[in-house]
Amino acid sequence: MRISRPTNLRTRLTLWYVAVLAVLLLVYAALVFAFQYALLTRQLAHDEVQDVVTVEGLLYFDTQDKLQLHQDYYSRPQSHLLVDRLMEVRDLSGNVLYRSSVLHDMPLGGPNRDGEGDKAFDERVVRLRDGSYVFLVSHIHVMQGHTLLIRLGYSLAPLRVRMIQFMGMLLVAIPLALLLAGAAGQLIARRALRPLEKMSNRAEGITASNLDQRLEIQNPDDELGQMARVFNLLLDRLEQAFFQLQRFTADAAHELRTPLASLRTIGEVALERDQNDDAYREALEDILEESARLSETIDSLLLLARAETTQPGTEQTVFIVADLVNEVLNLLGIVIEEKHVRVLREGEATGCVGVRADRSLLRVAILNLLHNALKFSPNDSILRIAYSRPENVEPKLIIAFQDEGPGIQAGEHERIFERFFTSRTSSTASHSGTGLGLSITKLIIDRLGGSVRFDQDLQQGARCIIELPIAE
Amino acid sequence: MTSARPKILIIEDDRKMSAALVSGIEAAGYDVIAAGSAEEGFFLVHSTQPDLLLLDLTLPQRNGLDILKQIRSEGIDVRVLILTSHNTVEDRVAGLRTGADDYLGKPFSFPELIARIDALLRRILPISQSNAFVIGDLTIDTRTRNASRNGKLLELTTREFDLLLYLAENRGRTVSREMLAKDVWRETARYTPIDNVIDVQIARLRRKVDDPFAVKLLQTVRGLGFSLREPQP
Repeated sequence: MRISRPTNLRTRLTLWYVAVLAVLLLVYAALVFAFQYALLTRQLAHDEVQDVVTVEGLLYFDTQDKLQLHQDYYSRPQSHLLVDRLMEVRDLSGNVLYRSSVLHDMPLGGPNRDGEGDKAFDERVVRLRDGSYVFLVSHIHVMQGHTLLIRLGYSLAPLRVRMIQFMGMLLVAIPLALLLAGAAGQLIARRALRPLEKMSNRAEGITASNLDQRLEIQNPDDELGQMARVFNLLLDRLEQAFFQLQRFTADAAHELRTPLASLRTIGEVALERDQNDDAYREALEDILEESARLSETIDSLLLLARAETTQPGTEQTVFIVADLVNEVLNLLGIVIEEKHVRVLREGEATGCVGVRADRSLLRVAILNLLHNALKFSPNDSILRIAYSRPENVEPKLIIAFQDEGPGIQAGEHERIFERFFTSRTSSTASHSGTGLGLSITKLIIDRLGGSVRFDQDLQQGARCIIELPIAE
Repeated sequence: MTSARPKILIIEDDRKMSAALVSGIEAAGYDVIAAGSAEEGFFLVHSTQPDLLLLDLTLPQRNGLDILKQIRSEGIDVRVLILTSHNTVEDRVAGLRTGADDYLGKPFSFPELIARIDALLRRILPISQSNAFVIGDLTIDTRTRNASRNGKLLELTTREFDLLLYLAENRGRTVSREMLAKDVWRETARYTPIDNVIDVQIARLRRKVDDPFAVKLLQTVRGLGFSLREPQP
């Protein structure tokens, strides 16, 4: 059976936490166990060495030259522990001279080894014939002209029993600790994630109709607070875009309704009474002109949508700005000539730098600006085109188009870029277009990372200043 | 019906549009059959064998491109002009790739539609080898790029000559501003505010071609565009 991965973040966090804790505890237990075992073994060796020294003093040869051990202090019954002592004494040729009675004639450690106990107390573990293990210390002792090999050992059984008990205790304690830690972890995770749950409940309820709602920020400094803040900023932007879109749709509908109303009225008035052919012809001509305007507005809206969705990097090429400006001037040349407008170019060499853009879109932007400037230019006036580069900042090209027309009304310098904005002043009323040209221009240039604005300090005429980032 | 007149089949579901197209194209000298649905249109392609098919892409039940695909896969020899309000570059490419000969976005100017139809069907008819146009006392020589009226040479700029030549090529027909922007100014983008430029250029051309002479050849047709023709007596 496959164990399915828990989808719940809380459970997943707890499981990870418990797993890490388990590994840590097991490593810790193993280390403690090893340390304890080593410590106890050392203690055993130490006791044995002391015991060997004691025994050396107690050994003696009796009158038959047989090795004996003084048993005088058996008078103290609490010394029963010493009965645990296993001892064997041999001469250097391996003959057993003395063997403790508890060994029951089992040899302790087999034949003599080379240099056993020669220099110090040798330690090793040996197995007796009855299967029990003994921790053994050997030592050479010279007594009354005899060289003796004393082997003294204690059974390892009691030590091992204690160690097994210790391990059993650890094995019971670790799962218990893990269970406790897991429960606590689950609780902590639930508490920590509770704001997230709240947020998701809240976010679930936000739709287009209540985009003004925001997530609650409990602690703005912690991670969840930051997330909520970022999410709220996203909602801000969405709300703004949504609002703009809504307003734009309403505006567009209104702007489309105006030519439609004209179409309808012209048609109705023409049909209401019988008229001669010329009157019908005129009505049809009016209708065609209005429909052309309608068509132009729709094309502008589509262009706006296209500029809006332009992704940086698509259809972009690098080209020389001054060339594009001159190309547009060339296109408008006949109008310039007809109005006797003089075009003065300043710093054109500066303008001979490349920009990266969708050329056809930037062309539309510049065509709109120059077309506008010319539209408002009186006859025999001057149109200035000045290129410059600001000092000490990122590589940018500034182009200023200045005409000698009626200029821009105070307070309209920003609004002029709004969609469907057309100035209501009498001097410009006769030049009304779709009201989208400058919005399109601004959108295109903004999308390039540039900017466009009208100079507010100018007293006479209008000066449009655009900034474009220069391509490397 | 005379067999000399080229036959045009219109597949368009909007009845008003269809009726207007039928009468307009008939007036331009073609035999016209109209179908209101894809199935009917497909049947008529087989039964009437038209020279040209005017195909609307957004039809009920079946997409216009499907019909085009089937017509091309059956190897039927017919010119196809697509009319559609889906007018992006991608749509255009998809249409032409499927086997359309031309593509016109709605709303189009009717003179342009007629010009396109003429152009498509002229591919079948022999092309006139003449390199001179004569309209009244106006003569245009495409080889030397000279234009004269009544034997008097007209001083024209390159753009003015191109404009006059284009009007002459379409003589007797009305030419819309969209057509001029596309074909004379070579403005491919649909949104380019150069109507002003065109009007000024036409005014200038009129000053040179018409003003010094009694008979006016360059007419403005309000709401439609311009045409170069001898005035009807």
